[in-house]
Amino acid sequence: MTKARFDELIHPSTRLSLVATLAAADWAEFAFLKDRLQLSDSALSKQLTTLEEAGYVATERRLSGSRRKVRARLTSAGRDAFNGHIEALRAIVADAAAPTREPPA
Amino acid sequence: MDKIAPEQARTALDAADRARRQVAEEVGLPRGYWWAMAAGWVLLGVLGNVLPPWPAGVATVGFGVGHGVFASRLLDGRRRTDRLRVSTAVAGHRIPLVVVGMLLGLIGVTVLVALALDADGAGHAGIWAAVLTATVVGFGGPEMLRVLRRWARA
Repeated sequence: MTKARFDELIHPSTRLSLVATLAAADWAEFAFLKDRLQLSDSALSKQLTTLEEAGYVATERRLSGSRRKVRARLTSAGRDAFNGHIEALRAIVADAAAPTREPPA
Repeated sequence: MDKIAPEQARTALDAADRARRQVAEEVGLPRGYWWAMAAGWVLLGVLGNVLPPWPAGVATVGFGVGHGVFASRLLDGRRRTDRLRVSTAVAGHRIPLVVVGMLLGLIGVTVLVALALDADGAGHAGIWAAVLTATVVGFGGPEMLRVLRRWARA
């Protein structure tokens, strides 16, 4: 079972959507991520660089015809961090939903 | 751990779930697969009409084997586009069964249509039935698969 661990780096909404997208895929191309997350080239590059520096994402440049394409994938450290973050979020929601205990009289 | 409010946590979980569902929408087979299948369908219809039964049977089996060899990598549904590869966890393991089931169903439809056209006195009933099914496969294959996936929860 994944250990719940809130991850400050993943939590901002754009980065969370980016990591969640990558977590559901083996890899995704830069153009796909840009379309789905509705980000500019520079904004997506910045997010990917931040995650890459943390060791959560790996990028690979490939030559496709005459065009250079960038693929991103989640590393195992990134996947663990994402799963831990999701567990942490679920725990917060579950704690809030649990009935509060009456203090003993 | 309680750095955020439960409402914010719920919003974040929703965002993550939405991202996962967007990737799941990419599960399917490439458009080229459906058109190749449609072309094969018409070819088999023509061969079935012009060849004696046993070579036509051999051609049908050959088509099935060829499909198994060349399309087996596509049948997992993770390679619909070359822009991403859907993870096995998201694509699941039942897509090949759904695709094969769909093709078997379409074979049944082709046979029934051919029998109906033949009973109606149409010439080359097998070819017309194959053309009809091929049109359905070529234009509507991805949509049919999407609906069947939903039904089969695959």
